[in-house]
Amino acid sequence: MIEFENIVKRYNAGTPDELVLFDRFDFRVAKGAFVSIIGSNGSGKTTLLNILCGTVPVDGGKVRVNGKDITKMSEHQRAALIGRVFQDPQKGTCSDLTILENMSLAANKQGAYGLSAAVNRRRIDEYRTLLEFCGMGLENRLNTQTGTLSGGQRQALAMIIANMTDIDLLILDEHTAALDPKSSETIMSLTDKLVSEKRVTTLMVTHNLRYALTYGDRLVMMHEGKTVMDAAGEDKQAISIDNLLAKFNEISIECGN
Amino acid sequence: MKTLKRLFAAALCAALCATVLAACAEKEPAKTEKLTVGVIQLVSHPSLDNCYEGLVAGLKDAGFVDGDNIEIDFQNALGLPETAEQQAKNLAAKKCDLLIGIATPAAMAAYAAARGTDIPVVFCAVSDPVAAELVKTLEKPGVNCTGTSDLLNLDAQVKMIRAFQPDAVKLGVLYTTSEVNSVTHLEELKEIAPKYNFEVVAQGVQSSADIPQAITVLAQKVDCITNFTDNNVVNNLADVLAKANAAGVPVYGSEIEQVKNGCIASESLDYIELGKQTGAMAAKILNGEKAADMPVALIKDSKPVINPDVMAAFKITLPDAYAGAEKVTK
Amino acid sequence: MTELLTVLTVTLEEGLMYALLAFGVYITYSILDFPDLSVDGTLPLGAVLSGVLIRAGVNPWFCCLAAFAAGAAAGSVTGLLNVKLKIRPLLCGILVMTGLLSVNLVFIIKGTGGFSIASFFDLPTIFSAAPASAIPQDIGGYRLRPLIVALFIAVVCKLALDWYLTTKSGLLLRAAGNNAQFVTMLARDPGTFRILGLSIGNGFAALAGSVIAQQKGSADLQMGTGMVVIGLASVIIGISLLRKVRFMKATTKVIAGSVIYKACLSVALALGLPTEYLKLLMAVLFVAALLSGNMLDKGRAKIRD
Repeated sequence: MIEFENIVKRYNAGTPDELVLFDRFDFRVAKGAFVSIIGSNGSGKTTLLNILCGTVPVDGGKVRVNGKDITKMSEHQRAALIGRVFQDPQKGTCSDLTILENMSLAANKQGAYGLSAAVNRRRIDEYRTLLEFCGMGLENRLNTQTGTLSGGQRQALAMIIANMTDIDLLILDEHTAALDPKSSETIMSLTDKLVSEKRVTTLMVTHNLRYALTYGDRLVMMHEGKTVMDAAGEDKQAISIDNLLAKFNEISIECGN
Repeated sequence: MKTLKRLFAAALCAALCATVLAACAEKEPAKTEKLTVGVIQLVSHPSLDNCYEGLVAGLKDAGFVDGDNIEIDFQNALGLPETAEQQAKNLAAKKCDLLIGIATPAAMAAYAAARGTDIPVVFCAVSDPVAAELVKTLEKPGVNCTGTSDLLNLDAQVKMIRAFQPDAVKLGVLYTTSEVNSVTHLEELKEIAPKYNFEVVAQGVQSSADIPQAITVLAQKVDCITNFTDNNVVNNLADVLAKANAAGVPVYGSEIEQVKNGCIASESLDYIELGKQTGAMAAKILNGEKAADMPVALIKDSKPVINPDVMAAFKITLPDAYAGAEKVTK
Repeated sequence: MTELLTVLTVTLEEGLMYALLAFGVYITYSILDFPDLSVDGTLPLGAVLSGVLIRAGVNPWFCCLAAFAAGAAAGSVTGLLNVKLKIRPLLCGILVMTGLLSVNLVFIIKGTGGFSIASFFDLPTIFSAAPASAIPQDIGGYRLRPLIVALFIAVVCKLALDWYLTTKSGLLLRAAGNNAQFVTMLARDPGTFRILGLSIGNGFAALAGSVIAQQKGSADLQMGTGMVVIGLASVIIGISLLRKVRFMKATTKVIAGSVIYKACLSVALALGLPTEYLKLLMAVLFVAALLSGNMLDKGRAKIRD
C-alpha cells in the first residue's frame, strides 16, 4: 500500500559537500504490515519517514499511498491519514493544553475546526477508556497540563492521540529512544496492543535491535540509502541479535572502519 | 551569449549616463526674474496657519507677490519632523532663493538643509532660536539665518491669571519633556511666577498616552493651569479641559484658538502679525540685506482674549482691567 | 478623598481602555509566541479611521467595528508576510507598522482635508451618544460615564475572547502557538492559524485605538508610539503577578495587568516623581513582575516548528 518509486534525495546539491542519499530508491510496504526499520546513523531511515510524511521534499521519484500519488501533497494534507509519534515526547502533544484538550482536538481531526465547543463533555468517558488502555493512570488526570507529565506518560498520550481517528498509516520515529527502560517497555507493549487491535500499516524506526526483532512482521536494515537486509515472516523469526550485529560490522568494515 | 551580455551591459550604461545627464540638465533652471521662496510649515494648526497667512501678506506689503515676482513653494510637513527635513533638502536642492521654516522643527530642518549653501533662512514662530541653535544671539544672529520668535508673554499671562483668581496659590502647567519650546517657557515661568505670588507645579509627560492621568493628578494639586505652545498638549486639549473642568480648575490657553475651544482666557500673541513681521524680514533679505546682521524680532504685544461661557461656568467675574478683552466662544 | 477617587476613576478608565490593546498583545505574544510590533501602527489605524468616520457622521459604535475590521486586515498582512514569504516575525511587524505610517497619514489627510489630526470634540462618540447618553455624566460628583462605557466594552470583549478560546478554532489557535507540529499532525496548516491569530490580535489593537480616540475627542498619528511596550507590559505584569491565582482566567489577569500598569503611573505622578524617572520606574516594575512570576524559569521549553 506504500510505494517509494525511484526516490532521489540529495543534500547540499551543487556544493563540494553534496551527498546523494537516495539514488533511485524503491521500497514497498504491504497493507497491514508492521515494519521495523533499523540502520546506522545517516542510513536514511528517518529521511525515509520524512519523505513519506512530507516533511522533506524529494528531488526525484514518486511516493504512493493506496495507489494515490502523494508526492506533491503538503505535510499537513498527508497528515489526514497518517498518525505520527516522534522521538521527542514533547512533540506529540501540546504542553500548555490539558490531556482532555489535547484529546478533544485530536478527536476532531476529520472534522472542521469551527466555532462549536472544543471539548465535548459527552465523550469524556470514551477518552477515559482510551487512557485506561495505557495503564498509566492518565484517565484520572484529564485536566492536567501535559507539560507536567513525565516523558513516558506524554509519549503514551501521543500514541493514543495518533490512533484516535481512523488512519491508514502509523509512523513511529524512534519513539522510545528518549525514554527510560521501563517507560520504553510500557510504550512498546502499548504499541503492540494498538497495532494488533487496529491492524494499521505501521512503520517503526528504532535503534533498539531487540524491539526490532520482537515486534513487527518485517525487518529492514538500511545503509547509505539502500536496504541491505529485508526479512519478513518466518525469515524474520529466524534472525537473532547476533546476526544483526554481524551485519552491522560487515557494513562498517566495508566503509573502512 | 557573452557578446549578448556585453551588449546588454553597454546599453545599460548608456541608459544610465543619459538619465544622469538629463537630470543634470534639469537642475539648471532657466533664469527667470521670479525668485523662489521655499516655505515649510510644520503642521496645520490655527496659529501656524495664521503665521503663513501673515507671511504672505507681509511679503505682499513689501512688494513681493506670489505669482508675480516670487514663486512660493509651500510644503506642509504634517507634524512629522522627518518629513520637514526631507522637504527642506528638496527645496535646497532646487536652489531656492530663500527658505522659511514655520515652527521650530521646520526651522531647524531648513537651517540644516541650507548649511553649506548660500540660501538664507528665515524662521517664524520659534520660541527660543538660541536654544534651537538657529542664531548665535537674538541681537545679531551671526549666521545666514534670522526670523521671529513667538516667546510667550508669560508675564502678561500670569498677571491675568492673578487678576482672575486673586486667591489662587498653585499654578499648574502640563508640558511635554521632548518639546524644546516648552522647556524654555517653563524656565521662564518659574522666574516670573513668584512676582505674582504663584507657586509653579509642573508636570511633564513623554507621550500622548500619559496625558489623561497626568492632567488628572495635576488638577488635584493646583488652583489654575496654564498652557505653553506644546504641540502634544494642544493636540489633546479636549481631554485636558474635560479633566481639569471636572476638578474645578480653569485652564488658561496660550493663544486664541485654545480659548475658542474651551480655555477660560489667554494673553494671546497675534500670529498674523508675527507672520507679517516675518514677511517683512524675508522681503528685506530678498532685497539683499544680510540675515546675519538682522536681529530676531520678538512680538512682545499680546492681547487678552476671554471665553465668557467658560468664565460663567467657573463663576469668575471679569476684572475691570480686562473689560476690553476680545470675547470668543466656540 | 475626592482626589484619590478621581485619580482612581481615571486610572481604571485608562486601564480598561488599554486592556483592549492588551488582549491583542495577549493573543499574538502569549498565545502565538509571535512578537508583533504592528500594534504600533494598528492602534492609530483604528483611531484615525474612527476619527474620520465620526467626522463624516457615521455611527460611533459602527466605527468601533470598522476599526476592528481594519486592524484585522492589517494583522493578516503581517501573518501573510510571515507564512507565505517566510519573513521573520519581528520584521513582519516592523514592515506592517512602517507601511501603516503612510496609510494612516493618507487616511487622516484625505479625511480631514489636509490636517494631521482628526478632531471631533462635539460629535457623538460611544461615550456621548446612545446608549451611553442614558448614563448621567456625573454620579455622586464623579465623572463615571466614561468609566462605565469602558468597563462595558472591556467586559464584552473579554467574554467574547473567553468564549472563542473554548471553541474548536480557538483551542487549535492555542495549539498552533504551543506546538505547530501538533497542528500539522491534525492535518491543518499552522500558518493559517498564525494569520488568524494576528488578525484577531490586531483587530483588538485597532479597537483600542478607536475607543481611546473617542474618549479623547481626537485622533492623531502620535498615538501609536510605545503601544507595543504598554501592551506587553500589561500582559506580562498581569500574567506574572497573578500567576498563582487559579480562579482567574488569563483574560481577566490581562485586564488586571493593564490597570496595574496604569495605576503605577498614577502613583508615580501623585507622589511627584520627576518625569524623567517615570519610564525607568516602569522598566523596574516590568522586571519585578517578570521575576515574581518566575518567567525566567527555563524549565519549560517550547517546541517551535
